[in-house]
Amino acid sequence: MTNAPSDIDLSVDLAGLVLANPIMTASGTSGYGPEHGELIDLTRLGAFVTKAVSPQPRKGNKPQRIVETPGGMLNAIGLANLGLDRFVEEKIPFWESKGVPVIVNVIGHTVDDYRTVCQRLDPIDCIAGLELNVSCPNVSDGLEFGTDPDRLRRLVDAVRPDVKRAKLIVKLSPNVTNVTELAAAAIDAGADILSAINTLRGMAINVDTWKPILANRTGGLSGPAIKPVALTMVNQVYNQVARDAGVPIIGMGGVSTWRDAVEFFLAGATAIAVGTALFVDPRTPLFICDGLTDYLRNRNLTSIRDLIGRLE
Amino acid sequence: MANQRLCREHYRLAFRTERFPDVAPGQFVHLGADSGPRTACVCSNGDLSESGHPGPDALTVPLLRRAFSVAGVTREDETALVDVIYRVVGTATRWMETLRSGDRLSVLGPLGNGFPIHDDKSVAWLVAGGVGLPPMLWLASRLQQVGQAAIAFCGARTADLLPLTVEGGVEALRDARRATDTCREFSEVGAKVVLSTDDGTLGYAGHVGAAMQTYHEANPIAADDVVVYTCGPQRMIQFVAAFCEARGIECYACLERAMACGTGLCQSCVVAVQDGTDAEGWSYRLCCTDGPVFRANDVVW
Repeated sequence: MTNAPSDIDLSVDLAGLVLANPIMTASGTSGYGPEHGELIDLTRLGAFVTKAVSPQPRKGNKPQRIVETPGGMLNAIGLANLGLDRFVEEKIPFWESKGVPVIVNVIGHTVDDYRTVCQRLDPIDCIAGLELNVSCPNVSDGLEFGTDPDRLRRLVDAVRPDVKRAKLIVKLSPNVTNVTELAAAAIDAGADILSAINTLRGMAINVDTWKPILANRTGGLSGPAIKPVALTMVNQVYNQVARDAGVPIIGMGGVSTWRDAVEFFLAGATAIAVGTALFVDPRTPLFICDGLTDYLRNRNLTSIRDLIGRLE
Repeated sequence: MANQRLCREHYRLAFRTERFPDVAPGQFVHLGADSGPRTACVCSNGDLSESGHPGPDALTVPLLRRAFSVAGVTREDETALVDVIYRVVGTATRWMETLRSGDRLSVLGPLGNGFPIHDDKSVAWLVAGGVGLPPMLWLASRLQQVGQAAIAFCGARTADLLPLTVEGGVEALRDARRATDTCREFSEVGAKVVLSTDDGTLGYAGHVGAAMQTYHEANPIAADDVVVYTCGPQRMIQFVAAFCEARGIECYACLERAMACGTGLCQSCVVAVQDGTDAEGWSYRLCCTDGPVFRANDVVW
C-alpha cells in the first residue's frame, strides 16, 4: 500500500473542512483513537470519528451486546463511554499532534446534555467536527430527537450557537418514514454537514430460549445488509434537500470495499465512513483509498469529486 | 491447512502461517474468510450456496471473524502450524468444517492476554469443560517446558463429546480421587488427567467441578501450593472460582464472550470486574483486550 500518487486527487471539501481523502471511520467502530492506532496508521484516514461522548460516563448495556445476522450484525452497546471529563483529559492529548481531523460523536438525553458536550469540545483545536447522534431515546417521553422533525430542529437550533469553530454534523436515523424531512429540519436549523445513515433497529431471537439474543432486546443493524437502504436514503437526501442547500453528506452503511464507496459517491455523498467492516479488517479504509485511486485512474478521472452525485 | 474430526461435534483445524508471534496459552486467534467482507455477503455478490437451494443456510460464509483459543503451535523454520479446536454450532463453524488442505483463511492474532505462569506453585490444576479444553492443551505443553507438574480435569456432557484420545482401563477412570496417564494428548506433555462426563459414559459421573472437588478431598493440598486455571461454560467456571475463593487458591479463568472485532474497537465483549473505579465498585472490561484471562475472583459473576 502506498499513499495516493499525485496524479489522483482524493481530497474533498466538507463545508470548508478539507480532508486529504474522503474515507473516515464511523462512530462507535474504532474507539477513541488509541485502540485503532494500535492496528493502522491513523494519519492515512481522511478523518477519525470517535465513539459517542456524553456528559457523564455510561457503562452501557449488559452483554450479550452483539450478534451476527445474515450479511450484517446487530449491536446494542448502549453508548458505553468514559464521559466528557475523561475524554478531554485522556483522549485529546493523543490527537493533538496527529494532524488528522477528529470528529466527536455527541450523545445526550436532553438538549442541555448536547450543549454541555459541544460547549466544552468546540474550542479544542484538533476537533474538526461535532456529530450529533440523535438516535438516543429522550428520557422525558421516550422519543428520539432524530425521528421527529420539530424535535430535531429544536435540538440543532439550541446547539448551533455553541458550535462556533468546529463543523456541526447531524447524523440521520433511518428509522423514519421520510428521511428527507429530518434532513431538511437539520439544515434549516443550521447543520453544516449531514451524515447518513445510523443503524436500523432490529432484533434476533433465540428459538431455544424464546428470548431476544441481545440483552437489550433490540439493537442496531449494520453491515453489508443495510447498504441498499443507506444508498437510497443518501440519494434521496442529496436530490431533495442537501444538493440545493449546498450541505455535504457523509455517506455510510455497509461500506466494505472501494466499489461500495463509489456507489455512495455517485448517490451524492462527499465523504464515506467505514464501520462494521473495521471489525473484520481494521485496514479497510486504507484498502478503499487504494481502490478508489486505481478506479479513478482506470476511468481517466483525476479527482474523487468528479463522482459526487453523478448517478444518472 | 487440515481439518480433523475429533469427536461427534469437535474438529481440529490446523493452519500454516508465516511470521507468527509467540503465543501464550489463553491467547486467541480471530479467524475469518480470506477475502473478508467481499465474499461474506449474499447481497453484494450473489454468491449463494452451491446446493442451489437458497434459504436461511445459503449464507455459508460468515461476515465477522470468530475467536478461538490456540490449542497448540508447532514451529518449522519460518512457519508455524497453529491448532484450534472447535465445535460446530453455527454458520461460522459449519463454514470452518468445509475448509480443506490448500484453502486459505484470514488470521488476526494472537490476541488478548494469556494465563500467567506461577511456577512457584508445586502443581497446576487445569479445569476444562467442553469447548474450554483447547487452551488447556497448549497450557499443559507450556507448563511442561517450565517444569511444573499439571493435572488436567476435563469434562464433557457425554463421552463422544470429549475430543480427547483415551487409552487404558475405562473402569479405573471412574474414580476421580486418582489422576491417571490415560489421555494421550495430556500424557504426551507430562500431565495427568481426571476425566468426567455428566451422564457417566466416561470417567467420573458428574460435572468436572465436582470431579475436581472429589480429587481435592482425597488429595488435600495447601492453598499456596496449587494454582488453578479454568475455561469452559460460565456455570462451570463460576463453580471452580467459588471453590478456589473459599479455599484461598489462586485461580485464573479464560472467558468467552460474543465479540465482533477482537481488538477493542467494538466494545461488545464486556466482562464485569470488581474494582474501585466508581461508587458501584465494578466496571466493564473487554474480554478481547483486557482478557480473555481474568483473575477469577475479580470477576462479578
